[in-house]
Amino acid sequence: MFSKHVGKELSAYCQGELSAEESRRIAEHLIGCHRCRSEFEEIKLGVKFAEHLPLIAAPDALWDDLQVLIEKQGSHAKPANEMRPTRKSGNWRLGFAVVAATLVLTFGVVAFWLYRRESLPSWEVARLDGTPRIGSAGIKEKSRLAVGQWLETDEVSRAKINVGSIGHVEVDPNTRVRLLETKITEHRLELVRGRLSARIWAPPRLFFVDTPSAVAADLGCAYTLEVDDAGASLLHVTSGWVALQLKDRESMVPAGAACATRPGVGPGTPYFEDSSETFRKALAKLDFEPQNTEWSKIPSLDLVLAESRPRDTLTLWHLLSRVQSTDRGRVYDRMAELAPPPAGVTREGILNLDETMMMLWKENLENIWSSDSKLRKTWIGFWTRSLGKVKGLEGKK
Amino acid sequence: MEQLAVMAEAKVDDRVIKACQQGDREAFRLLFEAYKDRVFSIAVYSLGGDRAAASDVTQQIFLKLLTTIGQFRGDSQFTSWLHRLTVNCCIDEQRKRRRLLAFEEMPIDKTRHREPHERRYERMEIAGVVKLAVSELKPKFRLPVLLKHVEGLSYEEIAEVLGCSKGTVASRLNRGHKQLARRLAHLRAQLVLGD
Repeated sequence: MFSKHVGKELSAYCQGELSAEESRRIAEHLIGCHRCRSEFEEIKLGVKFAEHLPLIAAPDALWDDLQVLIEKQGSHAKPANEMRPTRKSGNWRLGFAVVAATLVLTFGVVAFWLYRRESLPSWEVARLDGTPRIGSAGIKEKSRLAVGQWLETDEVSRAKINVGSIGHVEVDPNTRVRLLETKITEHRLELVRGRLSARIWAPPRLFFVDTPSAVAADLGCAYTLEVDDAGASLLHVTSGWVALQLKDRESMVPAGAACATRPGVGPGTPYFEDSSETFRKALAKLDFEPQNTEWSKIPSLDLVLAESRPRDTLTLWHLLSRVQSTDRGRVYDRMAELAPPPAGVTREGILNLDETMMMLWKENLENIWSSDSKLRKTWIGFWTRSLGKVKGLEGKK
Repeated sequence: MEQLAVMAEAKVDDRVIKACQQGDREAFRLLFEAYKDRVFSIAVYSLGGDRAAASDVTQQIFLKLLTTIGQFRGDSQFTSWLHRLTVNCCIDEQRKRRRLLAFEEMPIDKTRHREPHERRYERMEIAGVVKLAVSELKPKFRLPVLLKHVEGLSYEEIAEVLGCSKGTVASRLNRGHKQLARRLAHLRAQLVLGD
């Protein structure tokens, strides 16, 4: 099942230079190979930086300078068939040609502008209830959401967005969402208020939703994401995995788990929704109100540790790198009690946040956190079969 | 301005090239307007951001284009031909400058490069930082990155311009992208937020 590493082909994959068949092979490998996925992330970052390279306008005086140079060079600068002035007898032709060229150029500019306007990348939007709006125009049945446009629903309207052929997003009432980007390496929405449900079957980290307090990166999944008026958000994952990220802070959220975010803080610690109420309340205090004096009388970390079940090692694993180093030992001990670390993972290494050991333990714990290994396989199979239909991967060249 | 250049480029067809070959200066002006920014950009990036030197090289490239366009037989795309000319002139200029630097500026340059990347990059805007990071890549990694991201060429077209295989282009771009990511990793959050 495991195929050869694909490191050498990752730039070509990232930039849509491969055939659909090759892209499918790479994507399939990336899903299962942590090493190549890390490399892919690095290359994708490099590509993104390189996309910021601007075209630099040549100085206005360049043509005049060039003319002078041509004159100076004299006969040396003449082409094989000799540079010669236009014949006098052809002056009327020249005048006509100039007028015609101006007209053609004007027509071309207008046509080009219209073409660019028409060909802006967009997604299909279908009305589900009420009258959702794109900009100021109401959607009767179907419409298209172009990059930069806002889709808004009122208290009775709902809409469904088809994300190319890689999935769909249902937009609930009282929601405001904007399409920021749609290209082969990235599809990105901005959710500033309300709630959406996404179901995506693309390779990991192709579909993103920006919120005021974090970015949700799809890792092949279904989830709902809601944002309140203060910019705080709550993510519920129903299948697969989602990563919530703000700067260096990242929370990995599997199916059955949730994670809150707050402006200025970023993503909190993920937790399973069937964990105890005490556990969830203590975790919220730990994440977002560490300075609350009233609460600080109650040892919230102790409560989280005491209430943890083996499955809650999801939360504890994230806490390892977030608690004070003086508390890390307690978190490790509780985790080791609930799910002993695999060979190669030591207490000392974890207390020093050794990256390899952290990843090794996480991979080992994923069997406890995620019960969807069969589902995941099914998803990979489905994705593999349907990849050829993904519009973003076809005809890029 | 960019849009006008795109329009001008759209108007450069076989007839314009033929007219240039027959010495039509208006046609040559059209050709110049269509490609001057692209040629100038490659020159600026290749010459470490030295715009004055890039202007000189751009003039030399167009002068050379004027004198040799008669040799263009249409066996390949005109743009590939022009890009090859551009790349070769920039490489020649870099060689000349390296020889001069060997006698004049090398000690100062070495000192400058000892400063950590992060310190030099930290106060610059993303585009400026990327420009600097790209100009510091080795030419064999820098040129494919420029041809891909500034010129928008496909891997196959880059291979034709550089006279190497598509696989070599892929491998050099891989390494170029990785080096950019590593040099600018500390700006990742800024890039994500900026997006």
